[in-house]
Amino acid sequence: MSAAEALHARWSLDNGEHEHVVFVAEGIHCAGCARSIEKAVNVLPGIEAVRVNSATARVSIDWRSREGTGLRQILDAVERAGFTPTPLAGSAASAEYRQERRAALKRFSLAALGMMQAMMYLTALYGVTDIDASLAQLMRIAGMVIVTPVLFYSGAPFLSGAWRDLRNRRLGMDVPVAFALVLAWLPSVFNTLRASGEVYFDSIGMFIFFLSAGRFVEMSVRHRSLSSTEALARSLPAQVTRIATDGNRCKVAAEELVPGDRFSVPTGGVVAVDAQLAPDAPADGALLDESLITGEASAARRRAGDLIRGGSVNLGAPLVLVASAAVAQSTLASIVALLERAQSERPAIARVADRVASWFVFAILILAAVTALAWAWIDPRMVFPAVLAVLVVTCPCALSLATPAALAAATLRLARVGLLVTRVDALERLARIDTVVLDKTGTLTSGATAINAVKLLGMRTRAEVLAIAAALERDSLHPLAAAFAPHAVAAVRADSVHEFAGDGVQGNVAGNRWRLGRRRFVEALSNAGKLLPLVRRSDADSAVYLGGGDGLVAAFEIGAPLRPEAAESVRALRLQGLDVLIASGDSDAAVARAARALGVQHARARLAPADKTALLHELRAGGHRVFMIGDGINDGPVLAAADVSCAMGQGSAIAHCAADLLLLHESLASLPLAVATARRTLRVMRQNLVWALGYNLAAVPLAASGFISPWLAALGMSLSSLGVVLNARRLAHGEHGT
Amino acid sequence: MSISYLLVLLGLGIFGCAVWALFWAIDSGQYDDLESQGRAIFDQDDPPDP
Repeated sequence: MSAAEALHARWSLDNGEHEHVVFVAEGIHCAGCARSIEKAVNVLPGIEAVRVNSATARVSIDWRSREGTGLRQILDAVERAGFTPTPLAGSAASAEYRQERRAALKRFSLAALGMMQAMMYLTALYGVTDIDASLAQLMRIAGMVIVTPVLFYSGAPFLSGAWRDLRNRRLGMDVPVAFALVLAWLPSVFNTLRASGEVYFDSIGMFIFFLSAGRFVEMSVRHRSLSSTEALARSLPAQVTRIATDGNRCKVAAEELVPGDRFSVPTGGVVAVDAQLAPDAPADGALLDESLITGEASAARRRAGDLIRGGSVNLGAPLVLVASAAVAQSTLASIVALLERAQSERPAIARVADRVASWFVFAILILAAVTALAWAWIDPRMVFPAVLAVLVVTCPCALSLATPAALAAATLRLARVGLLVTRVDALERLARIDTVVLDKTGTLTSGATAINAVKLLGMRTRAEVLAIAAALERDSLHPLAAAFAPHAVAAVRADSVHEFAGDGVQGNVAGNRWRLGRRRFVEALSNAGKLLPLVRRSDADSAVYLGGGDGLVAAFEIGAPLRPEAAESVRALRLQGLDVLIASGDSDAAVARAARALGVQHARARLAPADKTALLHELRAGGHRVFMIGDGINDGPVLAAADVSCAMGQGSAIAHCAADLLLLHESLASLPLAVATARRTLRVMRQNLVWALGYNLAAVPLAASGFISPWLAALGMSLSSLGVVLNARRLAHGEHGT
Repeated sequence: MSISYLLVLLGLGIFGCAVWALFWAIDSGQYDDLESQGRAIFDQDDPPDP
């Protein structure tokens, strides 16, 4: 548990009032378990949200420590509910997984060997009448000697699970299973001891074999989806070589790096934190492999001033970097945190399935009782096999695994191509969209912007206005800000810089207040009216104005080329039957040009963020389901107004992003794939639900009427559970080579 | 028929041995990684430490 606390300290994004932790709770097998953890933790003071995903066994908790609840109390509560909390990432977690895997393998192999051996002995008793009585008794004893350890070792998870459920006064999925096992075992032992009558040891052995095979596959799938985030977290180096100001190099833990520290990365080494190239780096920059974060296979060249994300691999000569964020604030930590949030949330559809499953178990127990009564009246010899078959054949597990398994597989698949699903129900909503709204700047166009022209409107020189503008934009994350970066002059500094979303920035340079951005915004600073006629409407892609208390001094024309893959991606989205719209804050001419190049009919220009929000509301009121793609920083509220949103991932801003999806490599080509995957996910979820429901509806009457023997019931139950999981697995691999 | 008694007991003994051997193999990590060991023969470098 101390490992979980250490992990919490490492990944918690906000150590202040809001605390957040994610861990794996061992012992979660089905939906009911998830609810008992939720109940146990929710009674603690200050708990804000508890999310438990039964498919991935992840528990995610948000709370306020101010009200006296510490991580220790929460972990204790989880333990009291009967589960073992284990940390998620790092070597401690993989040791836990290895233990869990070995234990499951031992249970499974004992059940397999025991089943074979017990079957060999006990088939001798099947319908044979001339067998020597003492030999028959030896067979029974041999069966008991083999199957009893199988029941209490291999079957332990089911027995203890059922016990935990009953203690929590809840009907989980282990209850009917354990009930059936004990119901078959007790009379078999009784008959063995009195040396006559039927024994069911072979059925018990086979039942446990099928069940533990199912659990083993389930566990492997869960481990594999966990290992994707674990691989991310583990790929960071634990130590880095920090370079002190006097040039001394010493090894320090990666956590000790603070923004501004210089550190070196050897050839083939992994960059530990978000960083920038040192100013004295070679002119041709550095060659980096960012595939871990973006899924982009080709190497990327980064020059001085570019952001190098933690987790990138240095492909070129040894580098000297300047840290721009600590480990916990770096891109990779944010990605891991978002992935964990998504994997621990439970979609609405899964919660419904859980509730249904709980009632389902209750109905099964009633049905078993009714079956027993009916057969007792018709044919007392059939009571036992029929009740056993009813208890065993039903599979509420398939029902509650149907959706989470599919979503986990799809999330994994998209993460592999650099698309992060940050909210678990996003895929469900994405599958139903019919309209795509694209922002232009920073979304359809690449981030690489440049100043095409400068119009001087006041007394200042060209060099002066560029230096002032560059100083104002120095720390801005707006896509247009990058255009000013090459014009920065070290002597000109801006202070009290404040960014107004959608309008521009304001700050003080050399004691004067300046504004840079939209014309109306800049003019509001000065006595606007008298200077109005000076400037004609610009036809530039984006016109940005600079002005102070004395009015406008310059207009900058900033252009950005369309991304090379934009046209192809828009075409693919339209082939998927979607309406594509462009909504941009840019000038009419620039938007019209982009729309022409992309073959988009509907384009709206000169939209402030509020106008874009209104546009989305209007579309949604018209019955459309809207997918909005924008850049995460300026379009935050706009993204929130769409049914589903996707943001272009940019550095540390990822953590604060409200979007449902994040494009980490900033390539639009993933969007059609995302829509296709979402649609397939929805299809797989429906298939799974139909399969689980159909199986149960068909199997229960057959079992109750005595057509299904207990061992066949065990096979059917395990296969239906496996079918659901394997059907979901298809999503992780992708069809048709996509 | 007495050979049957012997065979049943012998079967139980072999079953016990098989379970013991399998548990030993699992506990000593033989099943932890079934893939990378098979590729190890293609490694140019020296074999990894046992």
